[in-house]
Amino acid sequence: MLHQALILTSHREYAQAMRQGLLKLGHEKTRIDVELDAARAMQLAPQQYELILLDTVLDTMDGLQLLQLIKQQSPASKFIIVSDSADETSRAVAYQNGADFFLERPRTPEAFALALEAIRGLFKPNVAGEPLQKEGDSPVVNIRDIVQMRCLSGDSVLLLVRSQFQSGDIFIFRGEIFHAQYPGKSGEVALQDMLRWNGGLVRIRAIKLTNIPPRTIEVPYRQLLATAEKPDAEGPDMLATGGELFVVSNEPAPDTAALSVVREAPPREDSAPAFFPKPIVLAGGETPLPQVNSHWKVSLSGDLMEGSQVSEPDRCAFITSFIYRKLADVAVALEVDYFSHVTLLGPHLQQVLVADNMGVRHAVFDTVWTTEDLRVQYVKWCCEQSF
Amino acid sequence: MIAAAFVSEGGKLSGWCANSVITPDNLCFIAETCRGILSANRAEQRPAQTGVVAFGNRTLVFREGEAGLFLAYLDSPTNDAVLKWLFNQVNPLLEAEGVKLD
Repeated sequence: MLHQALILTSHREYAQAMRQGLLKLGHEKTRIDVELDAARAMQLAPQQYELILLDTVLDTMDGLQLLQLIKQQSPASKFIIVSDSADETSRAVAYQNGADFFLERPRTPEAFALALEAIRGLFKPNVAGEPLQKEGDSPVVNIRDIVQMRCLSGDSVLLLVRSQFQSGDIFIFRGEIFHAQYPGKSGEVALQDMLRWNGGLVRIRAIKLTNIPPRTIEVPYRQLLATAEKPDAEGPDMLATGGELFVVSNEPAPDTAALSVVREAPPREDSAPAFFPKPIVLAGGETPLPQVNSHWKVSLSGDLMEGSQVSEPDRCAFITSFIYRKLADVAVALEVDYFSHVTLLGPHLQQVLVADNMGVRHAVFDTVWTTEDLRVQYVKWCCEQSF
Repeated sequence: MIAAAFVSEGGKLSGWCANSVITPDNLCFIAETCRGILSANRAEQRPAQTGVVAFGNRTLVFREGEAGLFLAYLDSPTNDAVLKWLFNQVNPLLEAEGVKLD
């Protein structure tokens, strides 16, 4: 909930309207200050404000420069830059100078309402007892609000979305959702899933959009968000549990213990092509882990989850994440889903990476004794671990 | 095969063929990304020359030589025999142009 905010603008009417709107986001003691003079605003202590809205153009000062100054004094405050035109240069400078959001000045009541709704998303409390929050991580936010806000302000941005068990990307280009992807799915289907992850409460990191992906989503963002809000959208019933979706059709919901076993979805390609050599199978039906020099698993957010014979955990986690991210870019360029497995063949070592919905497994083999059968066996073993 | 390209050390697309969906710019971008992956692995003391990436039933194969990086995007899964066959076809063609991958 909003407690104290500052609106710094030279537009008196807009200031009053925004003040009234922001007051509705707070409580009875919420204080919204309006300052029309930038020089006077600099005398205020910005640390007292949780939220500061300032215009790109002020009467006596450049709002973007002022943002940089105030941000240094009050790094904990959230800053929204309001511009009369959503030009790319102002937007880029705003983010460079520390803005949390870039907002094109709302001109209609509808746009005003949407802007306020998006600002509300900045101040939503975390779910009580939610174990997601970890010191140093990005806060848990409402994904719908963030997407709406970014689209509303005409941004071009890549949103890295992370729920408790999954992670994916949403590409927004000039205020429209262009593409969405997470392991195993892409396009509108992926977006609709992501909007429901963890009941819509996820961690999001926004980074600059360095390349524009091929467009896989043609539907306007408002329509997409409206569709996602319908609880009984087309298709089978969906039960969101701990950030995952389980299709339960018309059957009774499975119990929690059963869900914990199948929480990790199988990778897209869960069986080897027919002409691959047949891997070794144990009497119980499971594939044994082949002999490897070392192997480890990294979550989609880049944390080392488990490993064996891992000498430098940080470096191992880094290289796996690096390869995963790079190949995610390649997948976008090729207009395909994320990779299922990768083999890197070197003179001394061979590496196999296998992706599933929770992370990437990475194994290192000695080239001298490694056969194709062993690599295939590792892929199969990884697939079985995913169930 | 959906696409193939050879990108020289300086990032120049020396030769390519592809269906209309994949642009030369995309091929360059992909090649640079693959080169980045191989370079990062060298830095980690795990040098690799060849990469095989399975995207569902499609496969991206890349191999780096001194002169540059060759990549092929195939509309099928691969195994070692397919790779061997592929490079048996490709290497003489590249060598005829003075490029040696192995």
